[in-house]
Amino acid sequence: MASKEGGDKAKGPQGAGDGKEKRRKESILDLSKYLEKSIRVKFAGGREAAGILKGYDPLLNLVLDNTTEFLRDPDDPYKLLEDTRALGLVVCRGTSVVLICPMDGMEAIPNPFITQEG
Amino acid sequence: MASGLENYVNQTVSVITSDGRNFIGTLKGFDQTINIILDESHERVFSSSTGVAQVVLGLHIIRGDNVAIVGQIDESIDSRLDLSNIKAEPLGVIAH
Amino acid sequence: MLPLSLLRTAQNHPMLVELKNGETYNGHLVSCDNWMNINLREVICTSRDGDKFWRMPECYIRGSTIKYLRIPDEVIDMVKEETQVKSRGRSEVSKGRGGGNMRGGRGGSRGAFGNRGRPAPLARGPPNRPQNKKK
Repeated sequence: MASKEGGDKAKGPQGAGDGKEKRRKESILDLSKYLEKSIRVKFAGGREAAGILKGYDPLLNLVLDNTTEFLRDPDDPYKLLEDTRALGLVVCRGTSVVLICPMDGMEAIPNPFITQEG
Repeated sequence: MASGLENYVNQTVSVITSDGRNFIGTLKGFDQTINIILDESHERVFSSSTGVAQVVLGLHIIRGDNVAIVGQIDESIDSRLDLSNIKAEPLGVIAH
Repeated sequence: MLPLSLLRTAQNHPMLVELKNGETYNGHLVSCDNWMNINLREVICTSRDGDKFWRMPECYIRGSTIKYLRIPDEVIDMVKEETQVKSRGRSEVSKGRGGGNMRGGRGGSRGAFGNRGRPAPLARGPPNRPQNKKK
C-alpha cells in the first residue's frame, strides 16, 4: 500500500484561503534551507537514500549528489541493513518521496520509550 | 453528505482499517476523503489465545485511505460483550 | 468538525504519526497543509518492528503516506468552529442540500460533550501493535 502514491490530487482544493492561517498556497516545506546539505529521503516502497541536495521543484522532485542508498533485507523491504551502496548523482521522483529530513542531527538512539509490552 | 457518515457524528463507532486494526471511539468529524476524527478511542486487539485486549488511545485522526469499515456501535449490546472471553484471529492486512 | 481543522489546531502540540509503512514518528507538529503533509520537529522515529529508533531534529512527511495521527486529547476542545462554516471544497455538500447550515448546527451540539471524562494522558510511546502484544 505504501507504494501507492499521488493521492494528493484527490485532496481538497488548494489555497483554502483561511486568511488567519499561514501561507496556504506555498509548500509548507522550504527545501532551500537544505540546499548543498545532506538530506535523508525515504521513498514509497521502502527505499531510503541520503545525498546532498542540489536542486528541487515544487513537486518534490529532488536532485541529490553523492547519494548513498541504504540497502534493505531482501525478505523485508522495510528493514534496513547496515550495507549501503553509492548511487552518485540522482533525480528522485517527487511523487514517491515519503519523508525528508536533514542528515545533520539525525542519529540512531536506544529505545527512548518505556515499552509497555508483555 | 453522500457518505452517510454524518448520521454517526457524536456516536460511538467501530473503525476497521486496512491494516486489520479495529478502533472504537466517538466520531467527532470526517471529510470528503473519509479522514476521520475519533475521540476517546481505544483499539481492540484480537488474539486467538488470550481474548480481546483493549488499548486506550485517545484522540485520533485516521486517514481516509486506510479506512475500510465504519460501523455504529450499539453501546447497550457492546457493553454486554465479555471481551476477555472472545478469542479470534486478528484480521489480516488488505494488500493494495 | 473537519479532520484537517483539528490537525491545524494541533500545531505546536506533540503527536504520534504512524505511516502506512508502519514507521511511527513522535514529534511536535510545526505545520500542515490541506494534503495532510506535515512538518514535525524534535522527532523520534520508530521502525516498523519497534526495535530501532532515530532522533531527527525535524522532518517533512507526505500526507498521503500517513495511516493515522494521535493527537493530545485537549486539542479537540481548542478547534475553532468557524473553519467549518465557510464551506470551501465542500461545494458538493452545499449543492446537495443547502449545506453549511446543518454543519453549523452540529458544531453547536458539540458543547454537550464539554465535560469529558478522560483517561490519563497519552503515553507517547510506540503504538501497541497486534504483533507486538504477545500477551
